[in-house]
Amino acid sequence: MWRLLRKNISGWQMAGYAIASIVGLAIVIIAYQFYRDARGLLGESETVTSEYAVLSRPVSMLSTFGIGAKASEGIDQEDIDALAQQPWAKRVGEFTAANFSVTGSVEFGGKSMWSHLFLEAVPDEFLDIAPRGWGFNPADGAQAEIPIIISKDYLALYNFGYASSRGLPQINEGMISKIPFYLYLSGNGHSNRYRARIVGFSTRLNTIAAPLDFIQWANERYAPGQEAQPSRLIVEVDDPGNPEIERFLSRAGLEVAGAGLDKSRAATVLKLVSSAIGAVGIAICALALFILSLSVTLLLQKNRQKNSNLLFLGYSPRRVAGCYLQLVGWINLGVTAAAIGALLIASYLWRGPLVQMGAQPSSPWAGILLGAIVMVIITAIAYLSIWRSLSHLK
Amino acid sequence: MERIEIRDLVPEPMARLRAEELDRRVWHRDLELRRGQYYLLETESGRGKSSLCSFLYGLRDDYRGQILFDGTDIRQFSRARWAEIRRNEIALLPQEMRLFPELTVMENIQLKNRLTHHKTSEQIGAMLSALEVEDKADTLVSQLSIGQQQRVAIVRTLCQPFSFLLLDEPVSHLDARCNELASQLILAEASAQSAGIFVTSVGNPLAITNLSNL
Repeated sequence: MWRLLRKNISGWQMAGYAIASIVGLAIVIIAYQFYRDARGLLGESETVTSEYAVLSRPVSMLSTFGIGAKASEGIDQEDIDALAQQPWAKRVGEFTAANFSVTGSVEFGGKSMWSHLFLEAVPDEFLDIAPRGWGFNPADGAQAEIPIIISKDYLALYNFGYASSRGLPQINEGMISKIPFYLYLSGNGHSNRYRARIVGFSTRLNTIAAPLDFIQWANERYAPGQEAQPSRLIVEVDDPGNPEIERFLSRAGLEVAGAGLDKSRAATVLKLVSSAIGAVGIAICALALFILSLSVTLLLQKNRQKNSNLLFLGYSPRRVAGCYLQLVGWINLGVTAAAIGALLIASYLWRGPLVQMGAQPSSPWAGILLGAIVMVIITAIAYLSIWRSLSHLK
Repeated sequence: MERIEIRDLVPEPMARLRAEELDRRVWHRDLELRRGQYYLLETESGRGKSSLCSFLYGLRDDYRGQILFDGTDIRQFSRARWAEIRRNEIALLPQEMRLFPELTVMENIQLKNRLTHHKTSEQIGAMLSALEVEDKADTLVSQLSIGQQQRVAIVRTLCQPFSFLLLDEPVSHLDARCNELASQLILAEASAQSAGIFVTSVGNPLAITNLSNL
């Protein structure tokens, strides 16, 4: 039967389809795979769809000398309300500062080191970590052990800046959490010593953070009557690449701390570029599918008499269609193999530079699976068009 | 299948014609064909014998009236069911033969036989030699004369099990001697399968004696 039906197959049409679909499919899966591999570089993970930004007033020359206008002072309720009303702001939290004097001290074999410190607090839902023992119970009073979260940057600053230049030992997160130290809080005629422990390191907050309950309780005790004006804000945004954010911030006289949003913006650009390239690939695939459908329809037209005679002999329509499907199937199998080959070569080429930049490229199975799915869909559509052409025959 | 009933049949394109303009030997008749019996429908050319065969074989359905296979209206049959009927229950030799000119004689016959597995290669060879075309087995059908093609088409038609054998002018291109040979072969196969035969003719009927005229 195959010998009979293949005579009208046009090699040029099939080659044209094969080349077009190899190019299209390869672009689609390579763009997809590159996006997966490179996004690790920009800190975007699969589960986090939103980003956090810490906002503050820019420090001006005037505020340095203590004669600032409103723009260089703290943040008031008006700013918070305006921010909360922005459609891109999912949640807004305040940094609550301690309004009393804080001194920390560590004891090493009888010797003690001490330093003035500051403490801030944010609502728990804005923390990027959930360490054990976080929280404060006012009933414990002066007996309580205060959990502290510090910025990961501080640890890096010590390890790579201070310790290495002074010949001091480098320490890791686990070691630091084991060191007990004391906080001396004073104000309003009270002065107390509290045990404290560093329980976690945050990449989101560049501060020394204590539980909000504790700061509120301590402000009440050591600095009653002082209105605690938030020094900074933390805001969760749904799309960091949204240009509306930047416009609002410059209007409100706020600035973003760190590169949080820039990184997210780069991730958004990566997503956009990958999507655009992927879309071109899909368009080429669609055109290739069009060529395939045309070629198959033409082939079926040329073979109309033969198909009709096969049905006359008692061949079932399914069996005749199966013969053409086999043709399409083999071509598509070849196309898929070639596109996957291109993907493997491309990902091998970009793996080295990406690893050097600190990314961890994922395995190419996701791209291979996507290619297989696209090809199954194209084959199914081609089969439907074959079936429709045959259904006119009796 | 035991019987074919034809009730008041007329092709859709002829339905508007007056009764006297139609050949009443073919159309607007109630006929019953029984398995094991042989029927001859003889009229002039262009009266619709081939159309009737196409209706009976499911190739066309543009007719009014009814055709029943064992009491079931054939309009209900799916395409898959028709494929099954064409493999196992009804064999049709059409007037235009429907051979594949680009294939050899044996390839044409095997295209049917591979579907039904009804005959061995030796049996096919024997049938070809009974009709004196055994030396053409590897010749392209396009290189055969019409008479030779007709004999090949007869052999191919017999390569399947059937309850009814429909033959549309099966020997129109054969001389009397070849007609005799073909008739013997057809009769032998039909009686081996206890099948019914429905044969049409324009005046050169199959050389079978016990044909009842419809």
